[in-house]
Amino acid sequence: MKSRIAPLALALATAMIALAGCSGAGSGDQVTLQFESWRPEDAAIWNSKIIPAFEKEHPDIKVQFSPTKATEYDAALKTRFQGGTAGDLITCRSGALNRENIKAGYLEPLKGLAGLSNFDELSQSFWASSEGDPYCVPVASVMAAFFYNKDIFKELNLQVPTTQAEFMSVLQAIKSNGKYVPLALGATPGDAWVLAFMGLYNEGPNYWHGEDGRQGLIDGTKKFTDPEFVEALDSLKSWTPYMPDGRASVTYSDATQLFALGKAAIFPSGSWDITAVTGTSGIDVGVFAPPLPQAGDQLYIQSHPDMGIGINAASKHKKQAQVFLDWVATSEFQTLYANALPGFFGMGKDAVKLDNPLAQAWSDLKTGAQLTPRLGQDILSGGNPDFEVTMENSLQLMMTTDKTAAEVADETQKGLEAWYPPQMK
Amino acid sequence: METRKNNSFHNTAAKYRYLLLFTLPALLFYVVFAVYPLFATFFISVFQTEGGERSFIGLDNYVYLFTDPTQSGQFWHALLNNLEFFAIHLIVQIPVALLMAALITSDAVRRLTGFYRTILFIPATLSVVIVGFIWRMIISPLWGIVGFPLLGTEATALPTLSFMSIWEWIGIPMIFLYTALIAIPKDILEAARVDGASGMRTFWGIKFPLITPQFGLITILTFIWTMNGFDIIYSLMGGAPGPNYSTDILGTFFFRSFFGYNNIIGDADFGAAVATVIFLFILICTAGYFVVLQRRLRPHEL
Repeated sequence: MKSRIAPLALALATAMIALAGCSGAGSGDQVTLQFESWRPEDAAIWNSKIIPAFEKEHPDIKVQFSPTKATEYDAALKTRFQGGTAGDLITCRSGALNRENIKAGYLEPLKGLAGLSNFDELSQSFWASSEGDPYCVPVASVMAAFFYNKDIFKELNLQVPTTQAEFMSVLQAIKSNGKYVPLALGATPGDAWVLAFMGLYNEGPNYWHGEDGRQGLIDGTKKFTDPEFVEALDSLKSWTPYMPDGRASVTYSDATQLFALGKAAIFPSGSWDITAVTGTSGIDVGVFAPPLPQAGDQLYIQSHPDMGIGINAASKHKKQAQVFLDWVATSEFQTLYANALPGFFGMGKDAVKLDNPLAQAWSDLKTGAQLTPRLGQDILSGGNPDFEVTMENSLQLMMTTDKTAAEVADETQKGLEAWYPPQMK
Repeated sequence: METRKNNSFHNTAAKYRYLLLFTLPALLFYVVFAVYPLFATFFISVFQTEGGERSFIGLDNYVYLFTDPTQSGQFWHALLNNLEFFAIHLIVQIPVALLMAALITSDAVRRLTGFYRTILFIPATLSVVIVGFIWRMIISPLWGIVGFPLLGTEATALPTLSFMSIWEWIGIPMIFLYTALIAIPKDILEAARVDGASGMRTFWGIKFPLITPQFGLITILTFIWTMNGFDIIYSLMGGAPGPNYSTDILGTFFFRSFFGYNNIIGDADFGAAVATVIFLFILICTAGYFVVLQRRLRPHEL
């Protein structure tokens, strides 16, 4: 019996595989685009809202969202590029990492793509090659500021701080009360980036005057040891007494939980956490801008180009991929996207109406403020030793040991002088 | 005729043909998945890639690894940390595994041997990500039982990670010692009991000398496997493991060089050079160990 069934089953299986292969190729005109992303958490939104809207307008193109974990994305994508298995659509990091992919020839140049006219030059520049040619359509930027728990502020009778002095007295008042952790911020080594993205790059631009300081470092006219940077580091260090106990091993997700559960009053973070902090226990959350060194100073806010979409140079369906990118550049997509993902703001020229009040409150912070991307990303990063990694390592020590702001500035500047031509002595 | 045919099966040429035939699958597997990658790694390491163009640069990647102040500093630092990681494993693992194996094989828990053996081996079957997550929760200053940030200070982070790893893998050295202990012929132990030897005396006088070769095996396996260690540190501390690189070991250093991490851009050619150096280091240490030590460790003749 056995011997008679086995070949039959095998033949049947072969036939089925062949058939399946036929049906895939048979429906001919329809093309499926593989879409690489580093946000698995967004799969539901892409699959149920955004991609269906696109496919409705373009029934001949299917888009398959295939994300990789954020921390593994860049390494995995590189391997896939090298092996020729990367998807057709590529989500692009901004700055140095993307320029590396452009230099290796992995991305298709987008010069002449009609949709790009919806973005100003500054927005496009974050994904451009060193020569300034566009390679990705800007999709989203994120901001950094401070979430606060409105109920705790009401209970302790506190006012939203606008200056550093007010900020310190608010933190002190929460600490003296003793019921809540004043500042939900961890300094565990594994999440040292938090101290940069949500700490230094959040409150710091007010000291180094945003683009003034950043461009100064880039063109070599300023040093990281200059007083404005050391003051910014010092002001960050002054947060340490208000961080949770055992801060040296409190992780980013610990801090998020602490705030979302209503156990902490203030959470320095990014707009991308809107859903995370309001989703779990429904606390009443507000947002305030980074405190000013002195009342009446100009406000600077971190608004970072986070995500663009480009085309794999080795894709077999470039024409269809361009159709998708042109659609991504429309305000239809941007409205859909910004509302599906509160906290990710479109970068197009047209203003987008936001339904989420907290996201709108974040967006309102930009009024009258000057925007600046994260200091250490883009041009300053990618060297040996890497600016960002060196600084995060020192920052983690500054926030957990008695290392001083001046020492952090010194180490970071030395690292920069080792490889970055405009800063070399 | 019949006998001659049988004899032909034993002639040398045919023997070697069969020998080859039977070893071929294993040999092929070994060559494709072990020998070839080793040589390919070395091959990659003598090139550099600039804007998609590969060019031969000889040993420049190796020179760079040992002369660049950042890279060589981090390499030696990672090597020292790795030796500490190994030493902690060895010092803690052997006595604990021995104690466990001795207890399991002793008469005291005879009925529950299977139960304990399983329980002690279970952590080794868990994913390292789960082990790391559970332990991080247990020792979290916010939600856990320890107020001190064990993973957050330079002095405690590496020992803490070592203990997590030991907790997970203790079942393996224990099984080595356990199998050696139960392989001891019963008649010797019976003779000892008839002579009136106590449990302690039987253990140190008979069982322990008979299982000593196992310690050599455990040591070298622990060495190879801690020197190749990566997963628990990467899953808890990331690819530039702090604080201040105090938990950076060769595996994480290699990962950072090859794949990149954070804003560090990976370089496959340089990473291959790092991998080759690590491989040679482990190879030399292991070979040296076998030549110098393992040959002298002989079980007592029975």
